[in-house]
Amino acid sequence: MFALQLALSGLAQGAIYALVALSMCVVNRATTVVNFGHGDLVMAGAFVVYLFVVLAGLPFVASAILAVALLFILGVLIELGLIERIKAGPHIGFALMCIAFGYVLRGIARAVWGREVLPMPTVFNLPPVFLGELVITADALVIFAAVGVLLIAFFLLFYRSSAGRVMQALCQSERGAALVGINVRAFHGVMWGVGAALGAVGGVLVAPITLLHPGLGASFLIKGFAAMTLGGFGSFGGAVVGGLVLGVAEQLVGGYVSTKLIDITAYLVIILVLALRPNGLFGRAIAEKV
Amino acid sequence: MKYFLSLLACALATAAVAEDGVTANSIKIGIMGPFTGNASSYSKAEIGLDAYYKWVNDQGGVNGRKIETVLEDYACDSAKGVAAVKKLIYQDKVFMLHGNSCSAVAMAIKPVVVEAGIPWVIAHAANPAISSPPTKNIFHGVPVGKTMGVAMGQFVSSKPGLSRVAVISHTDDWAKSYCGPAKEYLASRNIKPIVEEAFERGQTDATAQTLKIKQANPDFVIACLYEAETAIFLKDAKKFGLNVPVMGTAGTDLENTLKRVGDLDTVANYYVPHMYADNLDGPRLKKYADILKKYYPNESLTAFSLISMGSAMAVVEALKRAGKEPTRDKLITELDKTKDFDTGVLAGHITWSPNDRDGVKEVAVAGFVKGKPTVLKSWGKPL
Repeated sequence: MFALQLALSGLAQGAIYALVALSMCVVNRATTVVNFGHGDLVMAGAFVVYLFVVLAGLPFVASAILAVALLFILGVLIELGLIERIKAGPHIGFALMCIAFGYVLRGIARAVWGREVLPMPTVFNLPPVFLGELVITADALVIFAAVGVLLIAFFLLFYRSSAGRVMQALCQSERGAALVGINVRAFHGVMWGVGAALGAVGGVLVAPITLLHPGLGASFLIKGFAAMTLGGFGSFGGAVVGGLVLGVAEQLVGGYVSTKLIDITAYLVIILVLALRPNGLFGRAIAEKV
Repeated sequence: MKYFLSLLACALATAAVAEDGVTANSIKIGIMGPFTGNASSYSKAEIGLDAYYKWVNDQGGVNGRKIETVLEDYACDSAKGVAAVKKLIYQDKVFMLHGNSCSAVAMAIKPVVVEAGIPWVIAHAANPAISSPPTKNIFHGVPVGKTMGVAMGQFVSSKPGLSRVAVISHTDDWAKSYCGPAKEYLASRNIKPIVEEAFERGQTDATAQTLKIKQANPDFVIACLYEAETAIFLKDAKKFGLNVPVMGTAGTDLENTLKRVGDLDTVANYYVPHMYADNLDGPRLKKYADILKKYYPNESLTAFSLISMGSAMAVVEALKRAGKEPTRDKLITELDKTKDFDTGVLAGHITWSPNDRDGVKEVAVAGFVKGKPTVLKSWGKPL
């Protein structure tokens, strides 16, 4: 029962990591940019939903939809207004730009909420479900349901719809897609929007469980990287599996080895995967013609 | 000749107030705090301090001089703390330093302050190593972690029939400064922790820690955790049915912990060291809460808000005694003459001497009694 409870909590945490990793993966695969400011988009999603729920008094679901929509627009604006402009420059420019806008978002949150560690009101005031000694909270159920629905919708859209096939084509060859009349610039903007919106969902889901502060996104960025590494860079399914495995691994390491190691589990995963299986669980080695 | 004498008089007068940070009309005090970042709620201590000095100015200042405060942010980051304190000393040329939450930052800036020889009164940080062993220019104006850790241990051991204690803590110096003395005190009563779990800053889930503590079946849990992690642990404790009292640190307070966890049931069994002479909303603290409200009307009152005002009162008294021409050496001498000084804010009196700069040695404990924060002298006994 002890192991099962650990695994269940790990899956709930891992579902958030999976969402963050998937959203980073979307941006990376579509534009080759590794978004070092992504944790702050997660934080922004959490703060925007707090703004609508607590300050504007809107229902949580409506607030969540608004927050995700706003973050989608922010993602599009970041791509079109910042990233697109430096496309011709060195790749390091992308990393610096991402770090910079991340810090700007963090600074805005600090300027507005300053010295407070903010509590999000309980959203789903439902009693936990008991299966014997196993406890499943309403928050965990909401996370499982929301992430599950979102992932199914995402994968159906990407792999089963005609729009998804266009996206796949663009991911494989931008030049080819441009030659058949697809607007590559708009595609990049949309994918940044989708990435930011998915990250925002992570923030929205984590907000009722933990407390809000401007540094909230930092740990999710590392967890997202670890999950991406484990799953294999560029693999959407891998990012999801990587997130879930990381969440469970953290809990099992804490439960059976030492709680002192929980914090470094993500770093250990990155080191071990890069050293032993650089393409991760589902990534593919890319051969380049020279 | 008359011209020469008047020039000499002017020169002497200028020399008399030539100490950095002192002019004919003002005394400049540097206040450094974590005004931004995820530990920024601690900077309410420095905000309260600034409010008190503003109030002193409105009462006429000190020996005809107004106190000019210079606030510097370091976001609870050691590197930024060192930069902030160097700026205050060498660029702003403040007369003295009064500030600092975040013990790790205080330890990082200590060598800079010791080398500069500038008086520094610790406003909030609790690590005893900041002021012990004593150095010429550093004074602790709040109870150190050891004092609070011992108070935590005393309170825990006052629960009848107690034998099994569990500990959950961060692994940093701050947490050790509370949990270490608490464990030492309990060890002196032949009580050793049955389980010790780590819960690091920034983690968002305490399932593994809570389940392991629950398996150990403790009578009491000591939690040396910052605010966010305390709330997460208390929520998980309720979720997994860990129904035992939890003794927290002065890094948290009852009112805000209640606000963060969302329901009284989750914090009904939570206790914290209480440094004040009264409840936060009690009549003895009203004057000081009003001072904060006057100068910072939008600032909410928490357990950190008034904590530095006690040491500010001691500083003002020492500055008065230092006379019309204060120097840093004179101030240090006068601070060392502070004996059994009742601030009216702190539960303990302030006493400093060249051999002991740990100024405040008494702390109470607060917990919820019938849903209301109440100061307790021991388990089940209100003050």
